[in-house]
Amino acid sequence: MATATTATPELKLERVNTPPAQTWNYLRANDITLTVPSESRKGDVYFALPRLFEGIECGMGPDVTAWIESQAADAQYVEVRAGERRIEPIIATMDTGVMVRTGAEATIVVCADAQATSRTSAALVRVIAEKGARVRVLEFVATGDDQQHLESVGITADEGARVEVRQYFLGAHTTAAGLSCALNGADARFDLTCRYLGTDDQRLDINHVVRMRGRNGRSDLRESGVLDGRARKTLRATIDLVHGSSGSEGAELENVLVLSDDVVNKTMPVILCDEDDVAGNHGATIGSVGPEQIQYLADRGLSQEEAEALYVRALFDEALICAPTAAVRAAVLARAQTVLGTEVAGDLVDALQLDTEDRA
Amino acid sequence: MSDQLLRVSGLCAGTEDKPILHDVSLSVGAGQTHVLMGPNGAGKSTLGHVIMGDPAYQVTSGTIEFDGADVTDDSADKRSLAGIFLSYQAPVEVPGVPLYSYLRTITQKRPELKMTARKFRDRVGQIADQLDMGSSFLTRELNVGFSGGEKKKIEMLQLLLLRPKLAILDETDSGLDVDALSVVSRGIEAYRQACDGALLVITHNTRILERLSVDRTHVMVQGKLVAEGPASLIDDIDAHGFEQFEHAKGGDAQ
Repeated sequence: MATATTATPELKLERVNTPPAQTWNYLRANDITLTVPSESRKGDVYFALPRLFEGIECGMGPDVTAWIESQAADAQYVEVRAGERRIEPIIATMDTGVMVRTGAEATIVVCADAQATSRTSAALVRVIAEKGARVRVLEFVATGDDQQHLESVGITADEGARVEVRQYFLGAHTTAAGLSCALNGADARFDLTCRYLGTDDQRLDINHVVRMRGRNGRSDLRESGVLDGRARKTLRATIDLVHGSSGSEGAELENVLVLSDDVVNKTMPVILCDEDDVAGNHGATIGSVGPEQIQYLADRGLSQEEAEALYVRALFDEALICAPTAAVRAAVLARAQTVLGTEVAGDLVDALQLDTEDRA
Repeated sequence: MSDQLLRVSGLCAGTEDKPILHDVSLSVGAGQTHVLMGPNGAGKSTLGHVIMGDPAYQVTSGTIEFDGADVTDDSADKRSLAGIFLSYQAPVEVPGVPLYSYLRTITQKRPELKMTARKFRDRVGQIADQLDMGSSFLTRELNVGFSGGEKKKIEMLQLLLLRPKLAILDETDSGLDVDALSVVSRGIEAYRQACDGALLVITHNTRILERLSVDRTHVMVQGKLVAEGPASLIDDIDAHGFEQFEHAKGGDAQ
């Protein structure tokens, strides 16, 4: 019999990470339900973000926003002054709001690693990019095999703002991630690169939403990943061409490499359109490595299995190349060591002489 | 002759419904440079791909021996590890794989080329300098978004990195401007100097041969080798074209 322990109260987040337009429920692709710890903070005094951030739509939806706000310690508010080119990346905490003022530049880093003491980790990041701002958001989920991670991001971009997001979901028992970007101003641009790996019994639930409201906006969403074992992945990607977004163009493309017959792979690309002079494209390729690629790699000495393994290694290599700080590189490296083994994982770090000093 | 590195004997091959190569026999000695010429559609590239082991083509008769072993039934990856290298006319894009990951992986597959990661990086850097390549290319996806000239340089980079015993260059010069052609020619010359590897150069353009000392020239027409001769045969083709070989039955042109 189990001994009595002080159980952490739990909360069920029902049907979160939903897209703006849903499909048939029986497909079980519309949402995810998660059980999360729910500590009471009654009586605590804490710092909350300015109310300006409350109106930002976040990818995982309002229930997740409310839960993270209720569990976070003080929220972190960062303001990058007009015209400032901030070199030092902003490291997101559990609840972070970043105001990037007119013409400023900033990089925001969200990293979930295996050092978390709780089985559930989460990050809520809200960003306001004012006119002509340049914002880079780099997300790394490199948690342990028994952990679940929730990551909800909301961004608004004013006239001429440029937002680039790179996501690396490198494996956790459950990764649920939602991102919403609203291109509110004219000539705003959003570029997303999402790379993911799902193995064993891992579950990935991803929701990407772009609201194109301003004129002549551009959005480009590129998702790609590798699925093996009994991994289950659902990707929802919505480009919403709102009335008034004339001249805007949005494109979404996903490439999935499925290495096992037991993988469950669901992709739900949606283009919503309420404007005439716009263009929306989406596409997906699902399957094994293409025959042309297989032959090219074979001609250089790689069997099909080795070619497939190269794609997994490449995912970690790319994450390491993109990681902006030693702490993030260390987190990615630790995950790579679990998946690829120490020798292969350390190879790129040695070759490029990347700094991965351990955190205290 | 036992000193032949590559010996193709009586080779007939093609796709499932179309024979392309007819009774092709050709030998390349270790360290030699051979040139394969012929009009468009003659089957030159097919021969290169069949020697490499491309499963898109089936060998219906004949044999391919390489370095003393019959490799006719070997897969392409085994032939590559044995020392055959095929440089693509149109290198394939491999999204999702940074060039570094790829180069490191194919190098580590060869025991004779294994080295520490830092030595590897230095080695790649040296070769890149030789080929006038920028330093950022390593982190870019393999052949994705590269210009035609850059893709050919990446092929040359692999050639210099892997140091194969035999390199088949399938119209490596096609689509290159004068500067890129010069860089690629330097790469080929460097390969010859570095490891005395053998070359089978498939080309229409004699400029790529200017820096090379050609041992033998072969002419292919309609899937058959119709002529073979010394380097001077190239000048003859330059002056008179391929018409003279259209009805030839093969044999030494000199």
